[in-house]
Amino acid sequence: MKVHRKILTHFLSCPSPIDKEGYLYKKKERTGVFRRRWFVLKGNLLFYQDRPADRHIQGAIVLEGCRVRADDSESDFSLVFQGLRTYRFSAADRHAQKEWLTCLATASHRYMSVLLRDLGLQYRGETQGSCSTSTEVRLRRSCSTEVRHRGSSPSLPPPPPPLLLWGALRPRKSPKPWARRNAHVTPIRGPAPFSSEWPRVDFDPLTEFSKLHEVYGAEVRRELKRNMKTQVEHFLTSDLPPELSTFSQVWHYPNLKGYCL
Amino acid sequence: MRFNEKELISLSRQPSEMAAELTMRGPKKGDVFKKRLVKLVVNFLFYFRTDEEEPIGALLLEQCLYYFLFVVFLDEAERKYQFECDTEEQCGEWIDLIIKASYEFMRRNLIFYRTEIHKLTGKDPLEQYGISDETRFQVSNATLAEICIPLPI
Repeated sequence: MKVHRKILTHFLSCPSPIDKEGYLYKKKERTGVFRRRWFVLKGNLLFYQDRPADRHIQGAIVLEGCRVRADDSESDFSLVFQGLRTYRFSAADRHAQKEWLTCLATASHRYMSVLLRDLGLQYRGETQGSCSTSTEVRLRRSCSTEVRHRGSSPSLPPPPPPLLLWGALRPRKSPKPWARRNAHVTPIRGPAPFSSEWPRVDFDPLTEFSKLHEVYGAEVRRELKRNMKTQVEHFLTSDLPPELSTFSQVWHYPNLKGYCL
Repeated sequence: MRFNEKELISLSRQPSEMAAELTMRGPKKGDVFKKRLVKLVVNFLFYFRTDEEEPIGALLLEQCLYYFLFVVFLDEAERKYQFECDTEEQCGEWIDLIIKASYEFMRRNLIFYRTEIHKLTGKDPLEQYGISDETRFQVSNATLAEICIPLPI
């Protein structure tokens, strides 16, 4: 199968956000030797090369259908593709290992898709109140993999305002399921408004989201340390049943509900 | 550049957002339109010869430009991979799904929902998942991504 590598490498070099980067040791399958590589996680792709400034990319791992697993030692972990390959890594220390585990576990497109669906439902619930029409109930039950006739669902809520459609030219009769909103459309050629310019309801307009997030983050970190530490450790070291290979399955597994993994 | 081919082939067999027989043409001079089974799985577009199990190729759907009737995949040379549908409506559906399949699109939506839910409820919805501090969900990242839009041709 041909994978268009130039598209992958272009994606790596484009200015879209990098989710994590750093040195890791990667175990070579054939020889069992660990070699140090520079890893860059972008979206659901994990790229690796010899050094950060290298133009030559040695490889890319597509992170779909795998689960992360902490291995026996304090710094080792694996990416397990059930029935296929297992990639083994070694981080600098336990802290680095945990950071990589969390961000790799939450990297897959499937994970993002389920998370997005959950938040979307929560958002619609908050904005539309508790009354559910039959359409809403159908939407809640629908799986993200179903193909829907979007043109015939006028009750779908409008999409988030600050959307850029990557230069798309709309067809004359596009099957838009929602009404056009241009209150906050970001100009394609101009800079996006900073988060502090987004409309607020309850907050001092001079307060930036980053400051809110800082306060928030501190609270979450405290809570994490108190409650989550042992739970996450337990989860990381226990073996999942083989059928739980995708996030959506993990999410519905009763004992693990509420975990980001 | 190595990649995990077997895992990608396995991915091409997973349930897809959309699969249909389209005609497609590659970017090289002399490439002709050919009938292919095109399948959208996560943010990859796989294309098969009809009735074959293994895909001929996989295209990553990030940083693309979309025009009615065809998609431009960005690499250094801005190669054009053209897809044609039977109807205008079908084309619109494909473009809609491809845009929504992009990881960057999803990330920005997530950040939007996070911010809005926080405004409405006073709570960070990612806290319950323990992922509030993950880099990919930070607002500053959304702003950065929006600035870097490729200009339409």
